[in-house]
Formats: sequence, C-alpha cells, structure tokens
Amino acid sequence: MELITSANRDLSAFPLDPRTKILLLLCANVVIIGGGFSGTAGIIRALFASFPLFLLLLERKWRAAAFYTLFIGTAMACEILLLQRTAGIWNLLIVIFSGIFSRFVPGLVMGFYVVSTTKISEFIAAMERLRFPPALIIPFAVMMRFFPTVKEESAAIGDAMKMRGIRMGGGNAIAMLEYRVVPLLISTVKIGEELSAAALTRGLGGPGKRTNICEIGFRLRDWTLCAIAVSALLIWMMGGTA
Amino acid sequence: MDNRLSAKDFINIGIFTALYFLLFFVTGMIGYVPVFMLLIPALCPFVAAVAFMLYLTRVNKFGMVTIMGTLLGLLMMLTGHPWTIIPFAIGFPLLADLVLKAGNYRNWTSIRLGYILFSQWLMGLVFPLFFMRDSYFASLRDGYGDTYADTLLSITPPWVFYLMFILVAVGALAGAYFGKALLKKHFQRAGMA
Repeated sequence: MELITSANRDLSAFPLDPRTKILLLLCANVVIIGGGFSGTAGIIRALFASFPLFLLLLERKWRAAAFYTLFIGTAMACEILLLQRTAGIWNLLIVIFSGIFSRFVPGLVMGFYVVSTTKISEFIAAMERLRFPPALIIPFAVMMRFFPTVKEESAAIGDAMKMRGIRMGGGNAIAMLEYRVVPLLISTVKIGEELSAAALTRGLGGPGKRTNICEIGFRLRDWTLCAIAVSALLIWMMGGTA
Repeated sequence: MDNRLSAKDFINIGIFTALYFLLFFVTGMIGYVPVFMLLIPALCPFVAAVAFMLYLTRVNKFGMVTIMGTLLGLLMMLTGHPWTIIPFAIGFPLLADLVLKAGNYRNWTSIRLGYILFSQWLMGLVFPLFFMRDSYFASLRDGYGDTYADTLLSITPPWVFYLMFILVAVGALAGAYFGKALLKKHFQRAGMA
C-alpha cells in the first residue's frame, strides 16, 4: 500500500506534467504488452522498458530502480543463458518467469512511478484538463483520499484484535475475513458519511467551476519525452503492420 | 425520484470503490504464492463481494455501478496493468448495471446475476496473456526458437481463459451469498443496510 499513501507526499525531484506521465504509461503499456523481440520492435520494447528505470533514477528512488534492474536483468539473463541448457520442469519455470513477468513488470513499475510521484490534486487537475466528466473526477478524488483512511482503520482494527488475543493466521479463514472486514466496512462507511457532509458544506456538488491549487503545464522536458514516446510508438506500429 | 447522480452519490461511489479495490488488491497479493494463482479469479470476487453488497444498499440510480467499474479500470491502468482492462471494466459493469436496474437494485436474483457480470471485469487483466499475442509469438520464434514459444503457448491455451470466466462466476456467486449473509448478520442489525 506504500505506493498509494505516498501519493500525498511532495517527493518529485524531476517534476513532470501528470499528462506526460500518463502518456508515457499508455505508450509503454501498449508496446510492452503487444510485444516484439527481434529487430526494431525489440529495440523499441527495450526503450520503453528502460523508461521506468531512468525516471526512477531521476526521482532518486534508488531502491526501486535497483530492484527493477535486478528483476529485469534476471529475467533477461534467464532467457538468454539458461533456457537452452535446461529441460523439463526447470525449463517450464524459467519460461513462465521470464516470458510472462517480463511482459507485465515494466508496466507495473511504470505505474508505481506514476502513482508514487503524482499528488492527488495533480491527478485531478490533469483529469479536468483532459475533460473527464465530473461523474468520474469526484469519485476518483474521494477514492484516492480514502485509501490511507482505510489503511489506518485496518491497522487500528488489527491492534484491537491483538489486544483481545485474536490473531490472524490460525483458525478459520472465513471467520477471520468476517472479523477483519466487517468492522472495517462499518468504520469506513461511517467516516465516509462524515466526509460527505463536510464536503457538501464546502460546496461540493454546487454549480460553478471548481478551482485547483495545483499548477500543471507542459515544459520542455514534457514535450521532449512525449515526442520520444509518440514517435517510438508510431515506429513500433508501422513495424508491426509491415 | 430524481435520476441525476448527486454529490452524495459520487462520494459513495468513491468510498466503495476504494473498499472494493483494497479488498480485491489484498486478496490478489496471495496470488504470488504460485499454488493459489489459479484460485485468484474466484477468490478476489468472493472477498470483495462484501463491499459490493453493502454498496448496492446505497445504489438506487443507474450509472453508479458503471462508474465504479470505470474507476477500477482507470486505477488498474494507472498502476500499469494492461490497457485491455478498460473495455472490460466499462463493458461488464455496464451490463451488470442494466441487470441490477431491472431488479431495481434490490431483487436478489438480479443482484446475484449482476455481481457475476460485474466481476468479469477482471478478465481484462489476463486477456493479453491469452489473446493479442500473434505478433508477440511470431517475433518470439525469431528471437528464441520454437521450443520456448511452444512451451509458453502450451501453458496458456485459450480454454484456460474461458475456464477463468467460470471461476470468476463461481467465486462471485459464492461471494454474493456470503456477502448477503454478513449484511444480514451485522449491517442490518446496526441499521446500515
């Protein structure tokens, strides 16, 4: 859950417009899922797989960058070195690990980058500029605001259970689910009702345009990254049809 | 009754989407234990059902379930899951919304059917593993030879995808009963449902 709570902190050492991040995420998503190992497609896939690494480094997220390098490095090394030399179940495991994971992990890491470096109000500002309907923006904002609350409540319930000597793990899984989830739902729904009253008194749902304190805008680095991503995507698409 | 969604409805959508997503996400975590991998499509909708059932007691207007699905799709995409989630996360919840609306969001038969339909949104997450892979496998053959490509193909035959639809449906149905039981036991007594 760290990736969601940290969305509130102002951490960005290399601020980008949220729309740039979303565009990069989308391009990387399409290319990496669509695949392609050889020729230009392979190079472009590698380019998009390296985007999250550079962005993580620019954000000084050393640990995440190291894990990502280690993971992708292992997956690629497995593909190149071990695949030909193994057989049977080991071969199958390596195929699953390297083949499936290398298709999904770059996207996930890119997603981690996006949610951990963007403030919620920045997301909202970007969604407003992208002309998302309020029917999506308001619930989205509430949802993001709610993740940390649910986490806190869940921890509090865990503590309360510990004090009464009810532990996770042993015993009936369904009963555990009931003990954890029911209080969680009850307390969060109650908080939600209070939040709802508070938001209404502050004019949520009233007519008129809402303002946002976050200033977002394209800078040179945004244009550059967008240009690279879009042109790489176009080359990849032409290579795919040709 | 006014059919436009109010600010209160929007806040409810947000709260319950957050709860649904977290239950779903935490349950999904145990999928990293390989033995449970195949159970995930059934387990996630089962656990998250409680939040959905409680959500339905707050829903009385068309569109709320669809917005919930759309938000789940957006959130999945923001966290880097395959973009194929978007059509699934809009389409299936929309169908569910229609079915639920037909039962006025209270009829038990349409709630069961609606939740089964709604839960299928998660199939968008695994879709690229089974389809849209011709180009992927063609270039895989070039790069890594036939054995590799064939092994990868053989562990993900399309019928597994259809089997997963059924797993999701079973998990969702069981979850609907479980959620309803919890609702009856706890929430109605507390006057929340």
